[in-house]
Amino acid sequence: MKRIVAQRFSILMALALTVGVAKSFAADMEALPLKLPAPAFKGTPTDPPPDTTAEKPKGPRPAFLAPKGCVNVGAKAKVTSSDKAPITGSLDLITDGNKEATDTSTVELHRRTQWVQIDLEKEASLYAILIWHNHNTPCIYRDVIVQLSDDPDFITGVTTVFNSDNDNSSGLGVGTDREYFETNEGKLVDAKGTKARYVRCYSKGSTDSALNVYTEIEIWGLAK
Amino acid sequence: MTWLLLGVIFVGALLLRWPDLDRRPMHNDEAVNAIKFKGLWEEGRYAYDPDEYHGPTLYYLTLPLAKLSGAKNFGELTETPLRLVPLAFGLALILALPLLGSGLSRGALVGAAVWTALSPAMVFYSRYYIHELILVFFSFVVLAACWRYLERPRLGWALLAGAGVGLMYATKETFVIQMAALGVGLVGAWAWASYERIPSKEIPRIEPMNPCAPLSPTLSPRFAWGEGGDLSILGMSLKLTHLAAAVVVMVVVSVVLFSSFFTHWAGVLDAVRTYLPMVKRASGHSPHIHPWYFYVERLAWFHVGKGPVFTELLILVLALIGAGAAFLGRGLGDTQVRLARMLALYTLFLAVVYSAISYKTPWCFLGFWHGAILLAGIGTMVLLQLATLRWIRAGMAILLAAGAVHLGIGAWRSTHEYAASRLNPYVYGHTSTDILKLVEKVEGLAQVHPQRHDMLLKVMADHGDYWPLPWYLRRFKNVGWYDRVPDDPKAPVMICAASFEANFDAREPRTHLMAGMFQLRPKQVFELYAQTELWKAYLPTIKRAEED
Repeated sequence: MKRIVAQRFSILMALALTVGVAKSFAADMEALPLKLPAPAFKGTPTDPPPDTTAEKPKGPRPAFLAPKGCVNVGAKAKVTSSDKAPITGSLDLITDGNKEATDTSTVELHRRTQWVQIDLEKEASLYAILIWHNHNTPCIYRDVIVQLSDDPDFITGVTTVFNSDNDNSSGLGVGTDREYFETNEGKLVDAKGTKARYVRCYSKGSTDSALNVYTEIEIWGLAK
Repeated sequence: MTWLLLGVIFVGALLLRWPDLDRRPMHNDEAVNAIKFKGLWEEGRYAYDPDEYHGPTLYYLTLPLAKLSGAKNFGELTETPLRLVPLAFGLALILALPLLGSGLSRGALVGAAVWTALSPAMVFYSRYYIHELILVFFSFVVLAACWRYLERPRLGWALLAGAGVGLMYATKETFVIQMAALGVGLVGAWAWASYERIPSKEIPRIEPMNPCAPLSPTLSPRFAWGEGGDLSILGMSLKLTHLAAAVVVMVVVSVVLFSSFFTHWAGVLDAVRTYLPMVKRASGHSPHIHPWYFYVERLAWFHVGKGPVFTELLILVLALIGAGAAFLGRGLGDTQVRLARMLALYTLFLAVVYSAISYKTPWCFLGFWHGAILLAGIGTMVLLQLATLRWIRAGMAILLAAGAVHLGIGAWRSTHEYAASRLNPYVYGHTSTDILKLVEKVEGLAQVHPQRHDMLLKVMADHGDYWPLPWYLRRFKNVGWYDRVPDDPKAPVMICAASFEANFDAREPRTHLMAGMFQLRPKQVFELYAQTELWKAYLPTIKRAEED
């Protein structure tokens, strides 16, 4: 009994001491008298031509190293999509080898989160996935997620190799990869040699439009 | 009957302009005006800036609406009470039309009201918190007051004209162009009428003192002095006492406003000094240099890429018909030829001058476009009266009605579906809707930060190109605004122009993550950085939107 009382007294004393220290600490603390610069007024901004968005990033992408013998195993591969009726174009344009940003080389999917899936027909060791959305203007695509799996329904054995959905608005987990500007170089995703038969790419519109546009996807790997 | 029709048109115009007033993101200029208004509202201080940002009327006119909004402070103020100011003046243009009722036929007046109500340009800029429509309104009041005075010289009309000129001056410095246009319109129309010996509607009350003057009151002398300082020029009768009173009123009104109600006398001198930067801008020292057809292509036929066609060609064609009838002096019906010519010359002068000035922004055309709308009202009646057969007239009326519906649809689309789109001819250097996503995230982060809206926030953009963010971040009390990456950039939340390539998330120690890239405007993208722990606390609070 005495031990319990002593224990409780010690706890109370410790708490009191902590509060006291905190208070005295707080008494010595105050908000920094920050002097922050006020906004500078600015006149009417310029109006660039309608086809202009952001400034393109500077400099080419550094070379990506992969095992010798890597080829585009996705060339002419079959493509399916969450969007059963694309607005313009056809899904086969995504793997036809034409990466030019023209109206006839792109497929336009409806708004909200959509995916396109490429069937390599057999498992391959994948090293790099290159994605071109519509890159005629340097827009930014939202919630770009790249997943690999042997399961065509992407329920089991799913590996996410890229995810820029930082607020999980597409519901596939919080991503930590950075968003990026679309350029003619495409977005290169390091697949780290993951073995998979299917590649699925998600997106959720862009700064330009709520629609999802794909020009080309290349999948570089070693076929078994 | 006319007032009933105007009432119906007014209600229609209101329904077209009012909904979703806060829908479109704030433009850079709107946000600058809003922040300038903040000083007046919260601290009662306003100082006219001769270098930019125009006159004080916009801010003083906003005061009663801001008070009526119920907002207790600037942070609670929304876009709606601000945009109600240009909206009110846009609607007032319809109600003020009867000022010209003595010179316009009833059909022309109603026609002008319809085109004012439905013109996409007028509707779009009625929802824009800038000075333009206020200037157009006061310009119209002055034009109408001058017309009414010259019909029958009364002190009241002179005082109204004087007050109107003072308010024009205190609204926008370019009022001098409107005044020149008015002068050209008045002198041109009266000189023309004098040459053609067109009788005036009213016999002037001023007795001609020149014994050599013709006895017929319809044939006015070119220039004559009367007793008591009465003046007659080209048939225009002026009492010098009225003119002096008008000038006094004009000076008083402009001095009161430029001096911020006698608290900032330097503003009165600044109101004159402002014309130096204005001249430089007009002559080409500006990023807004555009060819002469810049306004015409936006009004007549604007089509970009796969977007819709925006056109006000109907109003333009009707205006040309009205101007043609004015110059020919035929087919005007009950519309007085003097007034029609005055409007035509006024509109033509404004259109030529504004098209010649290399500095152009779309809203600058509102002055001559309103003149064109008035002429279109005249043109509508000319067209209907040309049709002598009833069935042709009915067919024309149906076509005009279809055109009116088309304009109304265009007006709705320009303020809703395409409110901030580059496909809209009236959108210029506009804020992207994408930036609202950044604001939503920053507000969400503040909700989970212990200091809430006292949270430190740093915004970095080259050349201060971060507007309208000062409006959207108005609730935050500790925001630093930088035109470069400062030596100490770290804050719980940082908004940094992508062009700086700051990569705060890659800097050691890695305390932040990049939470997305957001487009402020074409060619201006921001990166949002947040403390990692703060972001983790924010994620569970995000409300997921339900899929359709």
